[in-house]
Amino acid sequence: MWSRLTYTLRETWASFQRNITLTVAAIITAAVSLLIFGLTLLIQEGFDNLLSRWEGGVEMIVFVQAQATEEQRSVIEEALAAQEGSIIASWSYCDVACSLEDAQRLFAGDPATLELLTETNIPTQYRVVPTEGTDVLTLRALREAYQDGLPNVLSVTLAEDQLDLISRLQGFVGLYTTGLWISLMFAATLLIWNTIRTAMFARRREIEVMKLVGATDWFIRVPFMLEGLVQGIIGGATACGALWFINNRWTAGVAEFPENSGFAALVVSDGYLNWVMLGIIAFGALVGMIGSGIAASRFLDV
Amino acid sequence: MIRLENVTKSYSAEVVALHDASFEVAKGEFVFLVGPSGSGKSTMLRLLNREERPERGAVWVAGRNIVDMPPGRVPHLRRNIGNVFQDYKLLTEKTVFENVAFAQEVIGRPRHVIRQQVPAVLDLVGLAGKEDRFPNQLSGGEQQRVSVARAFVNRPLILLADEPTGNLDPATGEGIMRLLDRINTTGTTVVMATHDQRIVNTMRKRVIQLDRGVIVRDQARGVYE
Ligand SMILES: Nc1ncnc2c1ncn2[C@@H]1O[C@H](COP(=O)(O)OP(=O)(O)OP(=O)(O)O)[C@@H](O)[C@H]1O
Ligand SMILES: [Mg+2]
Repeated sequence: MWSRLTYTLRETWASFQRNITLTVAAIITAAVSLLIFGLTLLIQEGFDNLLSRWEGGVEMIVFVQAQATEEQRSVIEEALAAQEGSIIASWSYCDVACSLEDAQRLFAGDPATLELLTETNIPTQYRVVPTEGTDVLTLRALREAYQDGLPNVLSVTLAEDQLDLISRLQGFVGLYTTGLWISLMFAATLLIWNTIRTAMFARRREIEVMKLVGATDWFIRVPFMLEGLVQGIIGGATACGALWFINNRWTAGVAEFPENSGFAALVVSDGYLNWVMLGIIAFGALVGMIGSGIAASRFLDV
Repeated sequence: MIRLENVTKSYSAEVVALHDASFEVAKGEFVFLVGPSGSGKSTMLRLLNREERPERGAVWVAGRNIVDMPPGRVPHLRRNIGNVFQDYKLLTEKTVFENVAFAQEVIGRPRHVIRQQVPAVLDLVGLAGKEDRFPNQLSGGEQQRVSVARAFVNRPLILLADEPTGNLDPATGEGIMRLLDRINTTGTTVVMATHDQRIVNTMRKRVIQLDRGVIVRDQARGVYE
């Protein structure tokens, strides 16, 4: 067991040194690809934060004054119910807990504002999904009616004000960053593949002897897979460092944007960032190990 | 120990390396494979350690038909077979000790076993004191002894040798033959392909002669002819 382990580590290290230029190229490509992959996830999350309250076809939100009683709200609910079937397809109430959660996402980059919101002063929301075919003019009229005619309504917001532009931007950015990281990941896999092939070619006599004296394919393969794994992990770790740095600068930058510019939502929580970084390393490790494992199997046969 | 039943092996439609070959080798026997160049001797040896597979026939080694053996079993088959080649196939960047130890390392022998068995086998082949040399610091005969040590260190049931004396002068070749003979007396079955008339004629072992892939003679205590 011990002799196997030292054998494996020694061979992996020797192969690394023998192959230094190709290895570095593979690692850099993997790192850039994983970085863009991570950025894609962060950007998407930022957009999702911005859009989360509009999920599920919601196009109008009626904000209710904080601490309105259930009785007071029932007036609003009756008004909503009256339109059900004609203009309104469905509606739901987002209570204090739900609204606080919403604020967490929306003001992720603006802790000062977030701090001011409490259970007692946060407005709650009615989220309204209009029926299909309801046009913007009808909704605008409804907004006017609710804003002026219903008690305890703080304000009414329509999706059309922000939704369209943002979701289009999200789709655009998502498409291109995804395309970019996938092609770079493909390039990284090819480079790892090539490193393994070169490494195996350099050791072909050894491999021949190993097979002749009865080494199993796994035994021959493992050092190469380990080499790919280490390449993937180093690439992933490098990408994490860069991602952390970029996210840090962005979050700091957003804090200086004017209030209510909407950018406060385009920031992700530390928890999410940690998940993404973990995911990047795992993804890099997996691609490196599987890529090199398949390469090693292929070149073992020839 | 070894049994071939109607074995036919071709590399392509035109090249039939072995045609309908059958023979049996008992445990502990010493067999010479002779025949002109291209008659199929190396092919025969490669069939025995499953480097090649025949189109037809059965190849029994140590009680198993290895023709349809699953690939995962092949390494275990090879641990029972030692190989010696004309060109030694030593690893040039490893020392004598490391070359022999390698054969134990890669099948997972524990280190204390390696430390004990490698010097013993190097002593057996007459290389005591040269453990730390590299192959290019040895004569051809010494290199072939390393290769024999590597083939024998795991105590295989069978030793396959493909023209082990082909690159050596007669006196050195004789030394290798004495070594193989000694290994044979420990109970290891030896099958050796050779062109060396003198060796075959002095050893007087069983001789199987091939001609264009066909066994044309199988003679106990035979000569080269
Ligand atoms: N890998 C291969 N692919 C195609 N043909 C091959 C291959 N190996 C051997 N042959 C052919 O098979 C025949 C038998 O070859 P083999 O190497 O077994 O002969 P041999 O008796 O060992 O010859 P020699 O004494 O020259 O070593 C020859 O015609 C050879 O050209
Ligand atoms: Mg030959």
